[in-house]
Amino acid sequence: MKKILVIGSGLSGLVCAIELASRGIHTILASPYPSERAQSVMAQGGINSPRGEGDSPELHCEDTVRSGGDIADRDAVYSMCREALEITDWLERLGTVFNRDKKGNVSLRAFGGQSKDRTAYAGSSTGKQIMSALVREARRYECEGLITRLMGYQFHSALIKEEVCYGAILYNEIKGEMEAVYADALVMATGGQNGVFGKTTGSTLCDGYAAARLFLQGAALKNLEFIQYHPTTVETPQKRMLISEAARGEGGRLYYEKDKKRVYFMEEAFGEKGNLMPRDVVAKCIYDAPSKVFLDISFLGEKLISERLFEVKEVAEKYAGIDVTCESIPVYPSVHFFMGGLWVDKCHRTTVDRVYAIGECASMYHGANRLGGNSLLSAIYSARVAARSVSELSEQKEAANFTKALESAKAELTERRQSQSQFSAMYIRYEMAKLMNDCLGICRNEEKLKEGIEGIDYYLSVCEKLSFDSDVSPYVSYSLMPMLALSKAILTCALERRESRGAHIREDYPERLEKYRRCSVICYNGGEYKVSFEEEGRV
Amino acid sequence: MKVNIKRQKSPESEPYWQSFEYKGEGHIAVSAILDCLNYTDDLYDINGERADRIRWECSCMQALCGGCAMIINSRPALACKTFADEIEGDELTLEPLSKFPVVADLMVDRSIIYEYLNKARLYTEGDSPSPGKHHEQQYSVAKCLKCGLCLEACPNFRPGEEFYGPVFANESYLLSTQTEGKNKALGKEYVKHFQEGCSKALSCSIICPQNIETLTSILRMNRKY
Repeated sequence: MKKILVIGSGLSGLVCAIELASRGIHTILASPYPSERAQSVMAQGGINSPRGEGDSPELHCEDTVRSGGDIADRDAVYSMCREALEITDWLERLGTVFNRDKKGNVSLRAFGGQSKDRTAYAGSSTGKQIMSALVREARRYECEGLITRLMGYQFHSALIKEEVCYGAILYNEIKGEMEAVYADALVMATGGQNGVFGKTTGSTLCDGYAAARLFLQGAALKNLEFIQYHPTTVETPQKRMLISEAARGEGGRLYYEKDKKRVYFMEEAFGEKGNLMPRDVVAKCIYDAPSKVFLDISFLGEKLISERLFEVKEVAEKYAGIDVTCESIPVYPSVHFFMGGLWVDKCHRTTVDRVYAIGECASMYHGANRLGGNSLLSAIYSARVAARSVSELSEQKEAANFTKALESAKAELTERRQSQSQFSAMYIRYEMAKLMNDCLGICRNEEKLKEGIEGIDYYLSVCEKLSFDSDVSPYVSYSLMPMLALSKAILTCALERRESRGAHIREDYPERLEKYRRCSVICYNGGEYKVSFEEEGRV
Repeated sequence: MKVNIKRQKSPESEPYWQSFEYKGEGHIAVSAILDCLNYTDDLYDINGERADRIRWECSCMQALCGGCAMIINSRPALACKTFADEIEGDELTLEPLSKFPVVADLMVDRSIIYEYLNKARLYTEGDSPSPGKHHEQQYSVAKCLKCGLCLEACPNFRPGEEFYGPVFANESYLLSTQTEGKNKALGKEYVKHFQEGCSKALSCSIICPQNIETLTSILRMNRKY
């Protein structure tokens, strides 16, 4: 019987496991923690579903491609938009508690960069509500023995021989052991690359390591320079916290103060719907504003705020001490989403045979900038596409022998455990994040990017010479070098794209150039980072 | 502020106490204090001895994932939703949840929550009907973090016994309103693993970081079964 290993139990991983299990395929769902800890539960705003009056998959596709800087594969995007309605219906049937209108239909709200109201939502905890329904659905297959959860497991590396994958080595955090898990295909659903930036709006568990390790093992990465800065985040001692786009979707207004008067700069520049321009545009305008920018939702009234924006109200109140029913929220953009990730084809196959990537760790639908409401959609859609493709795979003809790889991983683990070194892997992680935030902000330039590469190169060289302290989970130290390599890859792609497009804004190359209407692809080969610009689907 | 932490290197090793000095002040969550201690070049305890990094589970840092549930000054709570300036006394004492096996320091293995839900086969069968009047309670219950705080606070819950605790009651309620055909089997499981063991102490409702009204779920289920 075919056996598939899915790494990551967030939205994408869960959907993929459910889809495979529903086809009778045994799926192993491995993750360090339960699905409830996944970043997917943090998605507040909603999921796009072009079901409103006058809306269509064509319009949805057009908005997605245009807002993404015209570089996403139109065919792939259209296929996603065409399936969006069915996806929302499916989620509804599974028991997702969506908001509904008076007729009992799923309600839609306005989101940035969209020509129609098309974002279905569940209060302001859409991700959590969807996950809750999917966890129950997955349980059915767990009880039937078709989904086996491995909890407490971190990804270590893929088992690859002659460019074919046979499974993965996983680190069992509870037992403290390395284990090989063999499978007919490996599906990566490990989320974005948050970790290279330290704390972002998202989960600390999404650190980019898995994609980084695969990169070092031969998988190509794509569009790494496109990093979405969410325009509205609020500073708290914990981290910068997201103020959902739903706040502006419901009518929230951005302004700064000049001579004690409010300047509604987005509306002045772009008209009535100015607050709902695509995220890259809003983020840049806030960055350029002459003084501190605020988001006002107080005029929406307590009732609407409590009913539809409760989580926004709670975050502002609890962590920033702001009562949104009578005060404005000071906002600033912050790292939020990674449009780039593992290179995949339309079936979500990576460049390594039998390795798939889905959800935020893969790069496919968002081009240079993602539309709000498309992340939950693409996480689910990509999982379905991969599951269809995986289900058509043949079983591995013969098992390859990976005894040496496993022994080597075990030896590395013992060495890390017994290390007497005082050098802290955690501290270098922290320094890496500081450097990345400093050199790869909203606006970039050659000088800063080169400075970043130089800094990362230094840490990479240090990494090779030091054993790190043993007082953290071995995962923290073994993930460090690949994460540094990923950081270098991101900086390199940002340096090579000498234009401004979507979320990639170069002060020294402010124009959008036709010759760069392509995706950047980066490959690693024995310490070399090779970047090329390719048309979608032509790698 | 003095921060006392009950530590444990591995599931098998003996626990021990270690204290640290946190020098900041203001409206800061316990989770941010743990981060401040960990993200230093070297970590030293209050006696100047070098200390291992503090292990704790963390994902969202904003009370959406339930990872950082622990005992804070004798009360079960989320570290990211408990603030240093709001606790009583001038010392902070952190312990792992006591009803689950310790993985390391403040990290515990909560897989029993899922084992129980699987054992009772709590999943939807057939299409879920429109929530109608159940919308509000379904929405609230679906926000359960599976953090284990209600189980820690519940005087009747002890792992390994027949009583599965408040998580089970809420999940049963959700399913009973979403899967009509399954109600008989569900009722049986509910009575056996919840109704017969609940003494209505209601500490679950008080402690829930998502403010889930477990009592509403219980009342509706008890009326039905």
